[in-house]
Amino acid sequence: MTIQVVAGLVVFLGAYVLIATEKLPRATVALTGGALMVLLGATDEAGIFFSEEAGIDWHVIFLLLGMMMIVGILRQSGAFEYLAIWAAKRARGRPFVVMAMLIVITAMLSAALDNVTTVLLVAPVTLLIADRLGVPPVPFLITQVMASNIGGAATLIGDPPNIIVASRANLTFLDFLEHLTPLVIGLMIVFIGLAWLLFGRRLHHDAERAAKVMALNEREAIKDTRLLITSVAVIALVLAGFALQGVTHLDPAVVALLGAGLLALLTRLEARKVVADVEWETLLFFAGLFVMVGGLVNLGVIDQLGKAATDAVGTNYAGAGVALLVGSALVSGIIDNIPYVATMAPLVADLVHAGGAAAEPLWWALTMGADLGGNATAVGASANVVVLGIARRYGHPISFWEFTKYGLLVTGVTVALSVPYLLIRYF
Amino acid sequence: MPLRLMDLALPLPVVNRRTTALEAARRIAGDRLSALVVAGDDGTPAFVVPAVDVLGLLIPLYLREDTRLAGVLDESAAEELWGQADRRTIGELLDSEDVRVYDILRVDPDATLVEVATLMAAAHTSIALVEAEHVHRGHGTHATPAGDRETDEPRAVEEVEPHFITLPTVLDAALTARGGGRTA
Repeated sequence: MTIQVVAGLVVFLGAYVLIATEKLPRATVALTGGALMVLLGATDEAGIFFSEEAGIDWHVIFLLLGMMMIVGILRQSGAFEYLAIWAAKRARGRPFVVMAMLIVITAMLSAALDNVTTVLLVAPVTLLIADRLGVPPVPFLITQVMASNIGGAATLIGDPPNIIVASRANLTFLDFLEHLTPLVIGLMIVFIGLAWLLFGRRLHHDAERAAKVMALNEREAIKDTRLLITSVAVIALVLAGFALQGVTHLDPAVVALLGAGLLALLTRLEARKVVADVEWETLLFFAGLFVMVGGLVNLGVIDQLGKAATDAVGTNYAGAGVALLVGSALVSGIIDNIPYVATMAPLVADLVHAGGAAAEPLWWALTMGADLGGNATAVGASANVVVLGIARRYGHPISFWEFTKYGLLVTGVTVALSVPYLLIRYF
Repeated sequence: MPLRLMDLALPLPVVNRRTTALEAARRIAGDRLSALVVAGDDGTPAFVVPAVDVLGLLIPLYLREDTRLAGVLDESAAEELWGQADRRTIGELLDSEDVRVYDILRVDPDATLVEVATLMAAAHTSIALVEAEHVHRGHGTHATPAGDRETDEPRAVEEVEPHFITLPTVLDAALTARGGGRTA
């Protein structure tokens, strides 16, 4: 092992620790790590900007950018508030039915949107509904963020790890619908049952309170009908564009950017408003992360690890799949699943390259584990951290352990159910 | 004749930590205030809280963060909302991380209008306490922090009543001095 490789590993692991402990802003850490990789000679400008294997994955960056712009415009329409209140009224104000409806809505939104965006969108209206019902909002917030983490696994665009895997493995939107959506639907049904056991039994119906929910006028949430109709139409087009990738050969990133551009054009919103919800820090974090991982690829570290993993796995891809699923869930419960998947993706690519079609399900194992593991602890996913912050600000703090005791149970059950799905479906 | 700051200064209601949001709202509405003076632990004016932040005590955070939701509430929900005002206190505002509480700006009674205006602009505050060297003496009913109900009665012993200068007064005086006339 050369000094350059050792230095590269020190930079990478140091950055990982800083990202996991959140001592510094994660974008700062990732970009500094990337800069150090350049100074070490582990990568260069050609590698950073143009290498498919070891550079910034522009597919991921621009897909995220396009979706952030689309969601930023759509959220101004009031559609999410309308949907949540409509659901609560359909549930006739019965607390657990309201909770179940909000779980389903959150999961479905999360399949189409980033998880953090989803929980930010549904939190205020959830607080309103809980306030009207006179029930504690914490069970609602906890079940929603977990539903968001599970629901996000269903599609290519639902969770950043999926976007990374799709790009690295050349998987399409339809591939995700075919392979992960059925599992997620099953998991959501089980999760609603868990929500009943954990929280639902303690929620009691109060006719007077239910009437207060029924008195809410969801139509008033929509201030601009034209904006709503335009946004929904463009999102339908974007989803169709994702689904028709096999026909149009348009990359999802291009589809998302075209959608964002079309929406900006049709709604005639100022540029400032169109990009208001773009999380530039997140995009820079991704860029820095790709440069760091690219440095390790160029230094041959990933290759070595890939060879070691290939030797260890042999042809036992079922065992490797289970280990990858469970291991990814464990790791993702402790650290952010984005850097984890960014690091593991080239490694899994090596395994799949060596094993061919028999090893391809390893991509699904990685995705399932990374997505579902996010529920395990209060810091397992960015959305969890965001919800804990929201709950504290609203005067209903959720402690790390309160979240984690439910999270471990939900993760344990969902991962345990995913293992037989993986084995039965692919091996 | 040169303008004397003390001629422009006036007593204002002073609230304290225990003052309810309802009482604070009454003071703001009654005196058409843009900010509220809050007394410190020693009972003397110590902070200024913008009136709009007092409004924040009456409006739940979920409505402030998603303003579209305000429209979905019916009349009875709105009544409930205002009804909760007597359960919230100014102390919650002082302790909140989301609210900018300003230390009271103190100005010398000899300060010029430009000096006061400059200090207000720099400190981002619309109320300044005129230092008590030459202030009038009075009963102290306005100066008594609202919420100290046991001390709301006029006091037998005369005490120094804090006087304040407000932003509208400063602007009004400045416009008058310029010859532009008053705004209303």
